Amino acid sequence: MSDGVGVGPVGVEMAAGMEASAGGAVVGLSQDETTKRTLGIGFWISITWITVIVLAAALAPWLPLKDPDSNFIAAGERPPYSPNGTHWFGTDQDARDLFSRTIWGARISLTVGFVAIACGMVFGGLLGMIAGYFRGWWDRVISFVFVVFLSFPALVLAILITALLERSLRTISITLGILSIAPVGRVARATTISFADREFVLAARTLGASHRRIMIKELLPNVLIPMGALALLGMAVAVVAEGGLAFLGLSVEKGSTWGKMILTGAGSRDLQKAPWIAFAPIIVLFLTVLSLNFAGDRLRSYFDVRETAL
Amino acid sequence: MRYWLQRLGAALALLLAVSMLTFGAMNLLGDPLFNILGPAASDTSTEEGRQIIADAKAEYNLDEPLPVRYVKWGSAFVTGDFGVQFSVDGQPPVADLIKERLPRTLMLLIMAQLIAVTLAIPWALWSASRADSVVDKMSTATTFLFIALPNFALAVLIKYVLSIKFEIFPLIFNAADPFWTRVWQMVMPALTLGLPAAAVYQRLLRTDLITTLQEDFILTARAKGVSRRNVLFKHALRPSLFSFITIFGITTGALIGGALVVEQVFIIPGLGSAIVEAILREDFPVVLAIVMLVTAAFVVINVIVDLVYSLIDPRVRAS
Amino acid sequence: MGALVSFALVAAACGGSDDNGASPGTDAPSVTEGDAPPDTEGDAPPPTEGDAPESTVDPGVVIDEDDVVEDDTGPKPGGTLRYGLEADVNGINPTSSSLSSPGLMMSNAVFDTLAVWTPEGKAVPFLAESITPNDDFTVWDVKLRPDITFHDGTPLNSEAIAVNFEAQRADPLVGLAVKPFYPEEGATEIVDDLTIRFNLLEPNAVFPGALASQLGYVASPTWIAAALEDPNLNQAPVGTGPFMFDSRSQDSTTRFVRNESWWNGDVWLDAIEFVPVTDPDTRTDLLLRGELQAIQTTNPASVGDLMDEDSIQNIIDETGEESFAMINSSVPPFDDIRARQAITLATPLDNYRNLINLGIARGADQGFIPESAYYNPDVVQEGDDPEGAQALVAEYCAEKGAEINTVLGETATTCTDGKINIELQYSGPAVVQTRIADILSEGWQDSFNVTIDELPQDEHILQTALGQYNINTWRQFGAVDPALDNVWLMCRTVGFISLNWPKFCDESRDAILLEAQAITDQAQREALYKELVQKINDDYLYIFFSHTIWDNAFAENVRGMCEHTTPEGVPMQCAIGGRTWFHAVWLA
Repeated sequence: MSDGVGVGPVGVEMAAGMEASAGGAVVGLSQDETTKRTLGIGFWISITWITVIVLAAALAPWLPLKDPDSNFIAAGERPPYSPNGTHWFGTDQDARDLFSRTIWGARISLTVGFVAIACGMVFGGLLGMIAGYFRGWWDRVISFVFVVFLSFPALVLAILITALLERSLRTISITLGILSIAPVGRVARATTISFADREFVLAARTLGASHRRIMIKELLPNVLIPMGALALLGMAVAVVAEGGLAFLGLSVEKGSTWGKMILTGAGSRDLQKAPWIAFAPIIVLFLTVLSLNFAGDRLRSYFDVRETAL
Repeated sequence: MRYWLQRLGAALALLLAVSMLTFGAMNLLGDPLFNILGPAASDTSTEEGRQIIADAKAEYNLDEPLPVRYVKWGSAFVTGDFGVQFSVDGQPPVADLIKERLPRTLMLLIMAQLIAVTLAIPWALWSASRADSVVDKMSTATTFLFIALPNFALAVLIKYVLSIKFEIFPLIFNAADPFWTRVWQMVMPALTLGLPAAAVYQRLLRTDLITTLQEDFILTARAKGVSRRNVLFKHALRPSLFSFITIFGITTGALIGGALVVEQVFIIPGLGSAIVEAILREDFPVVLAIVMLVTAAFVVINVIVDLVYSLIDPRVRAS
Repeated sequence: MGALVSFALVAAACGGSDDNGASPGTDAPSVTEGDAPPDTEGDAPPPTEGDAPESTVDPGVVIDEDDVVEDDTGPKPGGTLRYGLEADVNGINPTSSSLSSPGLMMSNAVFDTLAVWTPEGKAVPFLAESITPNDDFTVWDVKLRPDITFHDGTPLNSEAIAVNFEAQRADPLVGLAVKPFYPEEGATEIVDDLTIRFNLLEPNAVFPGALASQLGYVASPTWIAAALEDPNLNQAPVGTGPFMFDSRSQDSTTRFVRNESWWNGDVWLDAIEFVPVTDPDTRTDLLLRGELQAIQTTNPASVGDLMDEDSIQNIIDETGEESFAMINSSVPPFDDIRARQAITLATPLDNYRNLINLGIARGADQGFIPESAYYNPDVVQEGDDPEGAQALVAEYCAEKGAEINTVLGETATTCTDGKINIELQYSGPAVVQTRIADILSEGWQDSFNVTIDELPQDEHILQTALGQYNINTWRQFGAVDPALDNVWLMCRTVGFISLNWPKFCDESRDAILLEAQAITDQAQREALYKELVQKINDDYLYIFFSHTIWDNAFAENVRGMCEHTTPEGVPMQCAIGGRTWFHAVWLA
C-alpha cells in the first residue's frame, strides 16, 4: 500500500476491479498452491472451444448458416419453435434461427472483447511500464490515474460513456478498452518494477542502452507473459460486460449480441414457455467465458505469474 | 497519525479527481442544454425559442465557464444539496430521490454479503480440512463455475429455478409491503450477488487456512490435544481475517456494480434502476450524485478496510 | 424548464414499455364500439338535456362472461386491491401532469370527472348534476351537485371548476390541448355558486365527452395552488374521489385508502395499491401467481394467456386505440409524399401481424374497427410491396437525394447508394419494442437505411411533439367519440410543440372535423368520418398495424368491476382505454 490509496494485493484488486466491470466474471484464480508445470487437459479443451467459437464467428458469412434476421414462420404454428432438426437451438419469438444468431452474435460479442483487451494491453501496458521503469513522478501520476479509474465501479463508468456517446460497436469496444487500461496497467507496472532492478537490465543500462531500448528489448518480453494470461481473462470480462450493458439497454444498437439475445428470452413468460431462447445463448456465453477464464488461469499458473504480479 | 492523515488526503484527492472527471465528461461529451431542453435547445428561430434557451442557461448557470460551474455544483453537493433533476418537472429533488432509493440498494448489498459470508466460512473450513480430496476438488470447481457465470446469466437462472419452476420466491419487489416481506422479496437478487461473492471468499479462506494449518502453532495446539474443530475455529480462522477483510471491502465495491444489473433483472427500484433511467434521460444531476455516492462509498470502504487491518496488525501503520 | 420534458395532458407517458407502440395517452376518453356485433356507434353528441341524438351504440366493452364469477352475497367492505399498471407516471395532477392510461387509472381513484360515459357511449353527468348546451352547442352550462367537499375540506363549487380549467389552460403542455378550442377571454363564466358556463370557439355537440376526459377531473383548488409553489405535491393528489391519497414511492407503489364519506355512496375496498410493472409478461405472471389482483395490458401474447386462464376475469376492449407507425411530414425525406408512400409499401405488415399480433389483436386498415359505423370498407392499409417501394425510392432519390435529413444530422443527406436514410424512433427499453423495430427494419432495409433511436418514453413523446423524428411507433385514436380525436389532426395543433404529431395541415380536413363535431345527425356524421378515413389514408401519414386490445384482467375473488353507477343509478362504461373504476369493486 505504498501509494496510500491502494487496497491490497494487486492481483486481488485487479480481479475485483474487473469483477466490478463484469459483474462477476473473473477473480484471482491463481491461488492454486499446487502449481503444476503442465497446462493440463482442461487447458486444451478450453483452447479448442475458444478456437471453434472464434473461427465460427470469423467465418459466419461463409458458413452455410440460416439468415440470422429472417423470420422462419411455419404455417399454422406460432413461434417460438423449440429446438428441432431445422433449428438446432430453436427459434426466438420472431421465428429467427437461434443457432445462426448465436454465431452471428459471437462476432459482435467477441469483437468487443478483443478490441477492449487490445486497447488495455497497448495503453495499459505502455503506461504501466513507464510508471514502473521511471518511477518518481511518472509513477505517482500514472498510479493515481489508475487508482481513480479503479475506484469507479467500472460498470458505472461504462454506462456513463455509452450513454453520452452513441451505442455503436466502436464506442462500446473503446469504452471497455478504456476500462481495461487501469487493471492491465497495474500488472504491467508491478511486473516492470520486479524486473527493473534485475541484472540484465542493469547490465544493459551500464552498457549505455537508451531507455527506449531497455524497455522494448529487455522489459517488454517479460511483461508480455503475464499480460498474455491476463488478456484471456480480460477478454472474458469484456464479453460479460457487454452482456451487462445489454441488460441495461445500453449494448450495441445494431445486430445481435449474446447479451441482447439472453435479454430477449429473459421475460418470465418466455422463461416458462420457451426457456431455450435465453438458455441457448447463456450456455454458449458461459462455456466461452469459462474457457477464457480457465485457459488464462492455467497460463498464469504455468508461467508462475502470481509472484511477479505481487 | 501521519499515515492516517496521508491516507485521508489521498482519499479526498481521489474523490475530487473522480468528481472532476465525471462532471467534465458529462458537460463536455454531453450537451447539458440539450439534456434540459431536448431538441428545443437548437431552436433559435422564434422569439419564444430564444427565450426558453436563455432562461434555461440562466437557471443552470450554463453561461459560466466549466470550472465555475464545477465549484458551484461541488460546494452545493457537499452540503447535501444535490440539485434538481433535469427531466420530469425537476421533482423530486435529487437528494429526495436518493433518500428513497438508497435503502433498497443497501438492503440488497447487506443481504448479499450476509449470504456470502455465512456460506463461505463453513464451506472454506469444510474444504480446507479435506484439502486436495476429491470433494475438495469438486468444491473448488464449483467456485470456479460460480465466478465464471456472468451475474445476469446467474440472475436469469435463479429466477428460472426458484421463481418459475418452483414458485418459492415472489417475482417483484413492493415498496408498500412490510419489512420482512420485502426481505423475502430480496432473497433472489441477494443470492445472485451473494453466491459468486461466497465463492470468492471460499477460495481465499481455503487457501489461507491450508497454509495456516501447516504452521507450527497449529501443530502445537493439535499436539496439545485441542480438538480439530477448535483448532479450525479458534486458531486457524483468526489469521485469515487479514486477507478476508481486504477482499470483503473490495468485493463490496464490486457488488455495487453488480447490483445495478441485478436490480434491473429483478425489477427493484433502487439506485441501479435510478441511474439507468437517469442515463437514458441524460439527467446529469442524478447521474452525478449517484456516481459520487457510489465512489465515496467505495473509497470509504477502502479506508475502513485499512483501518481495521491496522488494528489487527499494527505493522501496517509502520509501512 | 425541466417541465418541458414532462408532457402534456395529451402527450402522456403511456405504456411505451408495453406492447404496441408508445402511445400518447389520449386526453380523450377512449372506447366505443363493441368488438362484438357490428354496430354503429352513434355515441357522439350526448348531453343530458337538449336535443341530443338517440344513441344506437352497443356496449363498448366485452366482458369475458364465462370468466366472471357470479356471486349472490352482497358486497362486503375490506381488503386491498393491488393493480399492476403498464408504466409509472411523473405526477398525478390533472392540471399539469401527463395522464395516460396508468395516470388516468390512478386519477379514477382519487378524482371524479364532471361527466362519465355510459356503456351506450353517452356522456352523462357525474360530479356535475347537469350539463346543458345552447341551441348551436357553443355555450355549455355545467351545474354541480351541492355539498361536496374535497379530501382537504375545500368545498366543490363553480369557482373550483374555473381554477381547474384555467390551471390546465395555463400549463405550457397540458394547455396545448385546451387553448386552441376556447376564446382567449371569457372561456368560463361563473353563473352562480354551483353553475359555471363554458364558451367555445366552435359548435361542439360532444363537449360533455371532453368532461369525461382529463379535462373533466376536478382537483382541490387549494392543492392546485400549493402544487404550483411546491411541485412535489403533484405526487400527492387531492380530489373528491372514492379514495384518498395515502403514500407514493415512485417506480414502486402508490397507495390510496377509502374515503369514508364519499358523495356517491359506499366504497368497499380498504385500499388500492397501484404497482407499475413495465414488462407485460411479468405483469401477467404476477396476476396469475396472485401477487397482484388486477392488471392492465395491451400485449397480445399476454391477452391470449389471460383469456385461456379460467381463474382470471377479463374485461376486453378492442375499440380503444390503434397501433401504427407515424410519419413526420415536416422534415425531408418524408415531406415528399412519394417517400411516405414508399415506406408504407415496404412495411412488412404480414410479419408484424403474425409475430406481434399473434392472431389475437386484429390487423387494422384505419382508425375504426370494421364493426364501427364510421368504418370505411374501401380503405385498405397498403404494405408488403417492396418492389413498389423500390421504384418510388429510386424516383425520389434521383430527384431529392441531396436534401438534408435534419433528424439524422446537419450534414446527413436523404439518400445514400439509392436508399433513403431514416431514423426509426421508439420508446424503450422494452423487449417487445425492440422486436417490433427489428421486424420493421428488416422489411424496410431493401429501400431504406434505418437508424434506430430508442428513447425513454417521455423523451420519445417530447421529440415527437417537437417534430424531431422521421418515423416512429405509436398508439392513439379510438376516442369514444371520434370528434374527441380532433386534437391530433387539426392545423391549429401544429406548432413549435405539436399535438398534430405528423405536422400535417390540411384545411379541408379541418373543415370535415369541425362540421362533424357540430352536428348530431348520425348518418351525416358517418359520411363525414368515412371521407376523413379516406383522406388520412391518401396522405400516407400513418401505417396502421392493429387494433389495440385493452385487457383489464382481475383475479377470481374480485367483484363489482362493472357495477359502478352515477348517483342517478345510470350504469357507467366498464372500462375505457385500459382504465377502470373502483368504487363498486369488492373482494370476495
